Amino acid sequence: MNLTIASITLRGLFGRRRFLLLLPLPALLVGLAWLSSALGARPSDWAGPVVVGLGLAVVLPVMTLIIGTGVLGSEIDDGTIVHILAKPLHRREIILAKLAVAWIVSWIVCGVPLAATGLIAGSGRLALGLFAGAGVGALAYSALFLVLSLLTRRPVLIGLIYIVLWEGVLGNVLSGTRALSVQQYVTTVADRVSDTPLLNGSVSLPVSLAMAAAFALGGTILAIDRLRSFSVAGETS
Amino acid sequence: MSLNLRGVSKWYGNVVAVNDISMELGPGVTGLLGPNGAGKTTVLHMMAGFLPPSRGTVLLDDTPTWRNPAVYAHLGLVSEREAVHGFLTAWEFVYASAKLQKLKDPAGAAKRALELVEMTDAKDRRIETYSKGMRQRTRVAAALVHDPRVLLLDEPFNGMDPRQRLHMMDLLHRMGTEGRTVLFSSHILEEVEQVSGTVQVIVAGRLAASGDYRTIRRLMTHRPHVFTIRSSDDRRLAVALMGQDSVSGVEVDLKLGLTVRASDYGTFTRTLPKLALGEGIRVERLLPTDESLESVFSYLVSA
Amino acid sequence: MSSGVIHDIGYQRYSGPRLGRAYATRALYSHGLRTAFGLGRSAKAKIFPWLVVGIVALIAIIATAVRALGGGFLGYFGFVDVAAFLAVLFCAVVGPELVSRDLRSGVLPLYFSRPLTRSDYALAKWAALVSAVWLVFAGPQLIMFLGGAFSGGTFGDFMDELGQFGQGLAYAAIVALLFASIGVLVGSLSGRRAVAAAIIAAFFLLSQAVAGILLGLGYGVDEAALRRASLLFSPQTLVQGVQAWVFDRQLDQFGPEFTVGSFGPLYAATWLVFTAVSVLLLLLRYKKVAR
Repeated sequence: MNLTIASITLRGLFGRRRFLLLLPLPALLVGLAWLSSALGARPSDWAGPVVVGLGLAVVLPVMTLIIGTGVLGSEIDDGTIVHILAKPLHRREIILAKLAVAWIVSWIVCGVPLAATGLIAGSGRLALGLFAGAGVGALAYSALFLVLSLLTRRPVLIGLIYIVLWEGVLGNVLSGTRALSVQQYVTTVADRVSDTPLLNGSVSLPVSLAMAAAFALGGTILAIDRLRSFSVAGETS
Repeated sequence: MSLNLRGVSKWYGNVVAVNDISMELGPGVTGLLGPNGAGKTTVLHMMAGFLPPSRGTVLLDDTPTWRNPAVYAHLGLVSEREAVHGFLTAWEFVYASAKLQKLKDPAGAAKRALELVEMTDAKDRRIETYSKGMRQRTRVAAALVHDPRVLLLDEPFNGMDPRQRLHMMDLLHRMGTEGRTVLFSSHILEEVEQVSGTVQVIVAGRLAASGDYRTIRRLMTHRPHVFTIRSSDDRRLAVALMGQDSVSGVEVDLKLGLTVRASDYGTFTRTLPKLALGEGIRVERLLPTDESLESVFSYLVSA
Repeated sequence: MSSGVIHDIGYQRYSGPRLGRAYATRALYSHGLRTAFGLGRSAKAKIFPWLVVGIVALIAIIATAVRALGGGFLGYFGFVDVAAFLAVLFCAVVGPELVSRDLRSGVLPLYFSRPLTRSDYALAKWAALVSAVWLVFAGPQLIMFLGGAFSGGTFGDFMDELGQFGQGLAYAAIVALLFASIGVLVGSLSGRRAVAAAIIAAFFLLSQAVAGILLGLGYGVDEAALRRASLLFSPQTLVQGVQAWVFDRQLDQFGPEFTVGSFGPLYAATWLVFTAVSVLLLLLRYKKVAR
């Protein structure tokens, strides 16, 4: 874990325009939750669509996608990765630094609004559960999108296809694929921690944690290996 | 430290970018010369460990550069692509490079490096506000901050104004005399001519020539050498020279003097004084006109 | 060596007709339209657009077959609503394809140094995507029309069918105008196609989720105004609101007794404003962008 790289990555994230484009997303989440509660709807009515449908199914994956592909993908894209690689650093240090930045930033940016919606739904325990779930999800997603940045030249597109098609469409239609969907792990963790009827995790807790760890570990190891073999050809912009 | 390429080839499918190149680079400045698309950048990237050779080995003092981050403690690379973290200032960038190089005194090293490239005044402005030449110099500073034994530069004079160019050439020259192995690529002949006498010429992926460029020139005996001669009696000298076997062509211009094409350099240089003495002609000026790298290069490329 | 001379190597000035601005704009439009469907480009560029066209056509064919077998008719409007998801994907991918590449490769100065004005360029690209999206609907709708119009019945039936078809085409145009405007606008903001595509897709997805939430909320607190207002929050639901008002249709997908009530003109006005603002922002973007 290299602090210099982490700080450069962090500054790079906040300097890019596209990150700012996504700040309204958490605001939207909290805003809708507040609106629902202000209109007098019961939490059991609106928690499903807002917390799960919007928060866990859209906001969490999309934010972690932009952040996770941004920590490495943008440097690869504009060629500045060469400066980081031309140093006597273990590639593991580089990957871990970037993963840490992606994880923590995603966790805070998604976890805080999710916790806020939990509070609005009336329960501090739900807020805690959602925050914990966001942490697990942020780690798994960040590792996944980080390694995608190294595997393909269009990590954002592939990541979106994963979110929309795999976790979204297939996840709802085929129950077998649920065990391979990070969204389900997040739901389960949040459900078990907060012990609320509002959330219903369909994958068991041990499996969720194990699979999330597998995503995180597998993604990290693969990313380290790919970074060691990273090649820069001639001038192909 | 020496860079060793042995039988290095690189291909992409059917396209061969680098074709069986072997070279050994020792201390001093070497110019990597070749037209655009010859494979200079590919060779440089392979030397810097950013591209695996399809065949052959690229070694820095017996260790391969591919998948070996430890070499970067002794190697500095200035790539052609202008990319640099725009949101950092020059100071932050060079300082971060120093820290990532695990130097004992990163701040001091960064300061020295920036002084070396004359970027101390502008060091606290963000790199995205810099001109092209300033960005280039910042990248050179970052590549030099850890005092590398080997320095690789890809088209380093791109975008520099004449004064900066002279400064950079001076810098590279100094690095070379300090015993470092400096390799820079260029397709601009004057640059290579002025900085180094040693060249590696790459044409269409193959190594066409290596060594001192004057020697290379001389080795190409099937091309005539061209000399300009000014003497006390050009026309008589011309007549005498025309009868020589080592001379393949003579041109008389009343203003410029004699232009002589010699097919055999060695014999001609021995014959001329004897001839002039015999005819009683005083030779006032004898200049080789085509020894500049330009003519070497164009002969090599069109050969 | 003191004087200079210009040699006559047979160079002649062009004195023929110059086709001018309108021609250039039309050429850019037709080029954009061809690019949208991958015509004149490699096979790889044809995969995505024709895949989308294929799926939409399949929906139309199935609808026609079901109708022929007496199983009820999806309708020209229902068809557009079902295929809207694919139109979103189409806009997300093709919109940036049309405009982001020019931004990234820095060829805009080349375009702008021609008789073509900046607005002409922007509008030509916009029109190309609008037309492309409309064609994605219109082609399959034609299939549905041909399948249904000639399956017997009186001349009156035929005229009814033609009328329905015409309305379907008009609705497809309404959808195309809105979706494509968003697609081209977002595409013009970034030189990177993948990022722009992601933003467009995310916007449509997100807004649909928001509209769904508000609709659910409207049922939860039993507030009809909220239910009707929820349609304003996503392009996909907005056009359905317009459909209900302009073509006097029932929107059962939003609930068994859903009516648009007085919100009808509001839907149409919002659609108009949304589209107009998108186009204006697009023009503004191209007025300001340097390269």
